[in-house]
Amino acid sequence: MTGYIVRRLLWGILLLAMVIAVTFIVYYLLPSTDPAVLRAGRNANPKIIQAIRNDLGLNRSIFVQFWSYLTGVVLHLNFGYSYYYNDPVGPLILDRLPATLSLTAGAAVLWVIVGIPVGIISAIKRRTFLDRAAMGTALVFVSAPVFWLGLISLYLFASDIGQFKVFPGAGSYVGLTVNPWKWFTALLLPWMVLSATSAAIYARLVRGSLLQVMGEDYIRTARAKGLPERTVILKHGMRSAVGPLVTVLGLDIASLLGGAILTESVFDIPGIGRLQIDAINHGDVTIIQGTVLVAAIFIIIANILVDIAYAFIDPRVRYE
Amino acid sequence: MTTNIRRSAITVAAVLLALAAGLFAFASSHSTSVAHGAGLKPALTGAGQNLFNGKRGGTLKVVDSEDFSHLDPGESYFSLDYEVMYSIQRPLFSYLPNNTTVAAPDLASAPAVITNGGKTVTVHIRPNVRFSPPVNRAVTSADVAYAIERGANPNVANPYFQPYFGSIVGAAKATGGPIAGIQTPNSTTIVFHLTQPTADLLVGALSLPLSAPVPKSYAAPLDAKKPTQYGTSAEVATGPYMLKSDATGKFLGIGYQPGKSATLVRNPNWNPTTDKRPAYLNEIDINIGGAAPVIGRQVLTGSHMVMNDTPDNTTVALAYQKYYNQLTAVPGAGDHYVSLNNSHGVFKNVNVRRAVWAALDRDAMVKVAGGQIVGQPGTHFITPGTDGFAQAGGYPGPQVPWNKSTAGNLAVAQTYMKAAGYPSGKYTGSQAIKVVGSNNGNAPKEAAILKSALTELGFKVNMALVDQSVMYEKYCGVVAAQIDACPEVGWIRDFADPQTVLYVPFYGPAIVPTNNSNWGQVNDSAINAAMQKATFTVGAGARAAAWANVDKMLVNQAVAVPWIFDNQPNIESADVRGISDLWNIGSWDYSYTSLK
Repeated sequence: MTGYIVRRLLWGILLLAMVIAVTFIVYYLLPSTDPAVLRAGRNANPKIIQAIRNDLGLNRSIFVQFWSYLTGVVLHLNFGYSYYYNDPVGPLILDRLPATLSLTAGAAVLWVIVGIPVGIISAIKRRTFLDRAAMGTALVFVSAPVFWLGLISLYLFASDIGQFKVFPGAGSYVGLTVNPWKWFTALLLPWMVLSATSAAIYARLVRGSLLQVMGEDYIRTARAKGLPERTVILKHGMRSAVGPLVTVLGLDIASLLGGAILTESVFDIPGIGRLQIDAINHGDVTIIQGTVLVAAIFIIIANILVDIAYAFIDPRVRYE
Repeated sequence: MTTNIRRSAITVAAVLLALAAGLFAFASSHSTSVAHGAGLKPALTGAGQNLFNGKRGGTLKVVDSEDFSHLDPGESYFSLDYEVMYSIQRPLFSYLPNNTTVAAPDLASAPAVITNGGKTVTVHIRPNVRFSPPVNRAVTSADVAYAIERGANPNVANPYFQPYFGSIVGAAKATGGPIAGIQTPNSTTIVFHLTQPTADLLVGALSLPLSAPVPKSYAAPLDAKKPTQYGTSAEVATGPYMLKSDATGKFLGIGYQPGKSATLVRNPNWNPTTDKRPAYLNEIDINIGGAAPVIGRQVLTGSHMVMNDTPDNTTVALAYQKYYNQLTAVPGAGDHYVSLNNSHGVFKNVNVRRAVWAALDRDAMVKVAGGQIVGQPGTHFITPGTDGFAQAGGYPGPQVPWNKSTAGNLAVAQTYMKAAGYPSGKYTGSQAIKVVGSNNGNAPKEAAILKSALTELGFKVNMALVDQSVMYEKYCGVVAAQIDACPEVGWIRDFADPQTVLYVPFYGPAIVPTNNSNWGQVNDSAINAAMQKATFTVGAGARAAAWANVDKMLVNQAVAVPWIFDNQPNIESADVRGISDLWNIGSWDYSYTSLK
């Protein structure tokens, strides 16, 4: 097991190096805003831009710039400098991380506690009205784009612009340490919106997996032994059905930690996602590189954790 | 099985139908269509607003989907930045919110004195204006000199230093150190010696933030960083407000959190007897971020709020229809035009350019941009509110045949195509026209109207729509790209002098290989000569006439096709007495705005 983890970590590091290289090359070669122009501001003349380029070392070869960036990231955790924000990228991302963590954690809890029970109920009440209503609603939420759902929920339920003034509106987010109650209430609506799609997907996933598992011989054996149906479903059925769910959950959480762009934008939550979209809008290459790298780190870590978790969840899986 | 599928489908359909019905009901109560055409009540323009008699106190909440570019007076060059800059800093001159043409003394104690045939400018400054903590001392002329000199420092890299301050003796080779042509004979006098008689232009530029004083002892260590940290992490103020800071003047993470918020508080060292600003508000809290349609509604239905940046068209329409008194649409916010490549390809021919001008339905372009609230059809190049606008033709513009109908006139266009050597009135050559437009907002629809006009004239059009920054940086602003037409290039004046509108976009020698703002590569010797003459003309009236003449020459040569004189829509809450800076595209002026 230890050997496997070490191997996965080494592969992860190699993968990160590749991610750094690809993002660097993509934004170096493809049309985006020249950092010197970004720094110089609107309508700056070429002399100024050239002076800035010299000043910031942007006229060095791509290899030198890449090596400088790579060594900065690896040796000093220096993700570069944003010429739009006039700030180092690392602290900017760290500053945004708590908001994204708050959003992701709450949404994940919500979609798990809603999605899994709904999936189980749908599976055990198969072809009933309850099943159809649940799966029909799930289909709606799977199909609804999150930005649309966000806007509609604000127009309906936000305390400032909504028709029914229930939840705090966009821009009401405050840090957990600043005011825990305001933090909680401000995130309720974003959590619901962000978790709606995932809860729907998880419900459908659990239903499908459980239906498949419940037809297995060992389930029949468990029933034949006289075990209560609750135990058959939750202990025997769900243990097998939960496998694919763990994979999806790990990746979903990791992706969101890399930035829930749409939800953060609509609800004006200053997280990594909003940092990303602002950077894309302004061609702020170093921020884009930094956030992509952070997202890659989360996804690689999540993959490793999921693989390890499998060994505990599924007795058939063993790592040599 | 079939029955089950049907039942599922019915369930889903019922849910969708319910949702759709709910949405329809919601949308019906918030219709966003904008009526166009005659008979519409014009939006408020901010003209005649009462600058004084506001109520003192309170906190204004500002929402702003976009962040500031620079909060350093040496770097800021963006209308959003100016809203903060002119509240926290005092340049030598500044415009009253109601005045678009005459800058009044601000830090200066009297109007500038121009001598030596327009080659020397002397300005006296007020003696008892003080810097905010921790500097605290009185401002001197040396602080103004340093503020301007640092503009040439590559770590500061002021974008307009060379065009407006480059004629100061020694400025051309300045890199941040002392400039020989800037002298401070005493602590309240600053003298500028120029190489050419461009004093009027310099005096105009002294209304820009670069002339706001900067204390060298405090800023020099910060200016030594690459890039400067003055205005990025710390700054001292001279205006009625300052960015909330700690005892060292550091505001980063305190009064400004990039991409999140900014807080302006009263400057304890501001002396109201030295300033015309009333500064009614106690505090200005700026929230950065959020989707424009959401924050726009928050402002319209909320309390004590204004929106800093441009509201989206849906919000403008909603404001016009339901919150009429909370919307101002300020004219003079710049212009947009179709650049036509004067140096390459088929548009080298003046008659072809006139044909495109005549054929283009400018009314339709304004309509898709948002209608008469967001602008009037463009008819020439000097923008409303700028000196020389009326002499250049005002809103109707010069009455040349290709400019008469803003709705487009194909028959007139075809006469010019015939004059260009195409007897059928349609282009019969083999060149395909390369058009690069923006894919942001309504721009694709505007580009489509240009494409339609070109197609009607027989051109084959290859059109690419890209992000606006890419459009400028990779295509329209790159000479070697040889783009034939860019439908959405635009310009905003820097101050009231018409040179700031016409010089960079149309002066031949100003063409540079990249980051070029003469998008049409206009390089006409007669126009260049007229611009040179106008540049060295002394006196506001004479300059207005000279530049109006240049404008007429530009129209006569059809160097580009102006299609909109932009208005700037701004929105506020019902309980805000917002004052628009009519000279700065109508942006809210925090130093005059108050709460009801």
